Amino acid sequence: MIPTIGHAAIVVGLALTVYAAVAFVVGARGGDGRLLVSARRAVIGTFACAAIGSAAMMASLLTHDFSVRYVAENNATTTPPFISAISLWAALEGSILFWTLLATGWASLVLWWNRDRHPALMPWVGATLASVNAFFFAVMTWPGNPFVRTTPVAAEGIGPNALLQNHPFMALHPPMLYLGYTGLAVPFAFGVAALVTGRLDEAWLRIVRRWTLIPWTFLSLGIVAGAWWSYEVLGWGGYWAWDPVENAALLPWLTATAFIHSSMVAERRSSLKAWTAALVIATFVLTLVGTFLTRSGILASVHSFTESGIGPWFLAAILLALGIALSLLVWRLPQVTGGGRPSGLLSRESAFLFNNVLFLGLTFAVLFGTLLPLIAVSTSGATISVGRVWFDRVTVPIVIALLFLMGIGPALPWGQASWRTIRERFTVPLLAAAIISAGAFVLGIRDTGPLGILALAVFVGAIMIDEVVRGARSRARARGENGATATWRLTTRNRRRYGGYAVHLGILVMAVAIAVSSGLATDRTVTLAAGESATIAGYRITNERVVVEPLSNDARVIETRAELTYEGSQSGSLATAQRDYPSSATPIATPAVRTSLAEDLYVTLLAADPATGSVTLHIFVNPLVVWIWIGGAIVGLGAVFAIWPERRVRTMAVAERRAVPVPTTPEGA
Amino acid sequence: MRGLRWLIVPALVIPIGLLFLSGFGRDPSEIPSPLIGRPAPEWTQATLDGGTLSTEDLAGRPYVVNFWASWCGPCVDEHPVLASASTDHGDELAVVGVLYQDTTADATAWLVEHGDAGYPNLLDGDGALAIDYGVTGPPESYFVDAGGIVRAKQFGPLTDESMAQHLAEIGVGE
Repeated sequence: MIPTIGHAAIVVGLALTVYAAVAFVVGARGGDGRLLVSARRAVIGTFACAAIGSAAMMASLLTHDFSVRYVAENNATTTPPFISAISLWAALEGSILFWTLLATGWASLVLWWNRDRHPALMPWVGATLASVNAFFFAVMTWPGNPFVRTTPVAAEGIGPNALLQNHPFMALHPPMLYLGYTGLAVPFAFGVAALVTGRLDEAWLRIVRRWTLIPWTFLSLGIVAGAWWSYEVLGWGGYWAWDPVENAALLPWLTATAFIHSSMVAERRSSLKAWTAALVIATFVLTLVGTFLTRSGILASVHSFTESGIGPWFLAAILLALGIALSLLVWRLPQVTGGGRPSGLLSRESAFLFNNVLFLGLTFAVLFGTLLPLIAVSTSGATISVGRVWFDRVTVPIVIALLFLMGIGPALPWGQASWRTIRERFTVPLLAAAIISAGAFVLGIRDTGPLGILALAVFVGAIMIDEVVRGARSRARARGENGATATWRLTTRNRRRYGGYAVHLGILVMAVAIAVSSGLATDRTVTLAAGESATIAGYRITNERVVVEPLSNDARVIETRAELTYEGSQSGSLATAQRDYPSSATPIATPAVRTSLAEDLYVTLLAADPATGSVTLHIFVNPLVVWIWIGGAIVGLGAVFAIWPERRVRTMAVAERRAVPVPTTPEGA
Repeated sequence: MRGLRWLIVPALVIPIGLLFLSGFGRDPSEIPSPLIGRPAPEWTQATLDGGTLSTEDLAGRPYVVNFWASWCGPCVDEHPVLASASTDHGDELAVVGVLYQDTTADATAWLVEHGDAGYPNLLDGDGALAIDYGVTGPPESYFVDAGGIVRAKQFGPLTDESMAQHLAEIGVGE
């Protein structure tokens, strides 16, 4: 009964979203307000349908209804309720259902939020979002139906993918990522609406930036959470492998980040309009491409979903979205190019321009590396794989250049910088970078990678601090406020700018942590007899005993556990295990991670002999890894700070702008 | 000249479409088997029902060696294809299953649930047979002709079409 309701909800959802798309277009052309209202209600109805479908699937999972094929393949009677619930997004069909839930949620939110705003744009925004959602409902109605039944009904299911039931992060990382992916359809819809109506103006840029920044924040957090999950669960001691599914998340993030930056120039200089629209289109198409690559089975990936018939559907959707949006852009091109006067080489405009060139270069590099195996096999029949070494070599120089720009860009004035400004702003940061990296060298850090990144980070960080201090000081002088008040008011009254700085700071922290953790990590594989010890990077690790027993919450899973003690800069005991899941041919390692601010002790069990009590361990000591997650949190907080609505009223802002001689204009960054 | 800008649309859409289209129907982790065109590995194995089977028993007949496991989802999908090939071709073709990293108890239960088509299933406890054939994961099937030469390999589940195609390659059903 419940699966039937779920399936019916999907079919009704398809009908509603097709109606909404048509009604929005007809309403926009005919100007019939009632039609538009009914279309908006239909979109909210599609959200209700997706919610009913998702609830039906979750109920089927929780009640272990193996008459549903998806449940039989991803659930077992012994699966704990929490894992059953999050299995909604653990495999292909369920993840598309969950995706649709979020996508219709975004569409409803945007249309409701703007019900009295932007009357010219909104019908086209609605039509675009409804069309995109129609695609997902259609996929669920035909090739990717999550409620396909099986007969005869199995007494026991296969159980969830072993990797996915190992860590609570599975409850967090996919929803974050999907909120990002699905939310990026909103700026795309605004882009299409602006191109159709010819309103590619400053107001449009402001709306789109906000609606990009929100999904961008989710996508950023989703990517960091995914890296964290991979680090805590997969047991190889790393957090980023340039796997296609990781690249799939990174690609739209790169173009969305490029958009957030270029939109600031476009808003101010009215140039780059076509370019920003192209970025919005590229971002959305890349979310589809990423989904396609990881779900169609055309690229090998650790995370690839089982092969299914949805590939051709996704390909058609990608080509349709790209073709239509690109045609609209080409059609409007004569109206949106030109405008804006040229600016000097040393100006914020140039910094933004370089920023975009670099982000685009990074996007192409990652896209090329991801697709190269496919290109090679299609053109020459050769089977190749592109690994970490290639990606690192190509991307690291671009990332370093971006970090450098991140420092100097915000400190450069619009228009043209004088040599005096440059001397004033960059002398102290340069000195600070030189002194601190010299100090690190004296203290014994000799690797050029970490040392170089440290120098760069200090340089960029010093510029940022200087920017805030300079602004706060001049405000304090002009208003007679104390330092803390001046700093708070300065930043909260210009959230976009200072929130952006906080995001930059988070990226900087992550960059240093990534450079140091990958450059200075130590690892060793040791075999220890019972009671034997090994020493690695200051830790003495002792094999206490080996225990083999079923998991307390799922007796079908047998755990082989090495119980160890460790002494060093952290001390205590830990257990690292391999688990045998009935659904997996090979045992799944559950690494033990002991985290401190300075370093992580990370132990993976490679083999254990319960008879003799001997164990083979892969031990990693990874410095500063926790700062990657802290940096990610700073990025998230900075983004929320920037998105948070400003309290001030417009007239007050104008008065302030006159009163406070802040070095750069308040609307900036 | 102004019309030329429209060229960008097909210039982007067509190559992307062709590239992705070329990826369909090809499994990215599929590795060509070096066994193709060479004599099949020889073996004598215990079977699930307690007997013994050897390549000598199959001499002169084309046969399919199918590696499967009770924990393998796609094996359920291809099972009817193997079952009907086994019954349709009678003595003209031998179908041999091989348990891949599985227990006899689980495999027996699986056969009860999904239907035992009656063809023998070999035990491969130490995985030696899977290593001889170069199996990377179930399901995988190897097609050997009457002369004992490996003619085809199916990576992933068999379908009616791929079964017919591979059987033709070993001279069955023509």
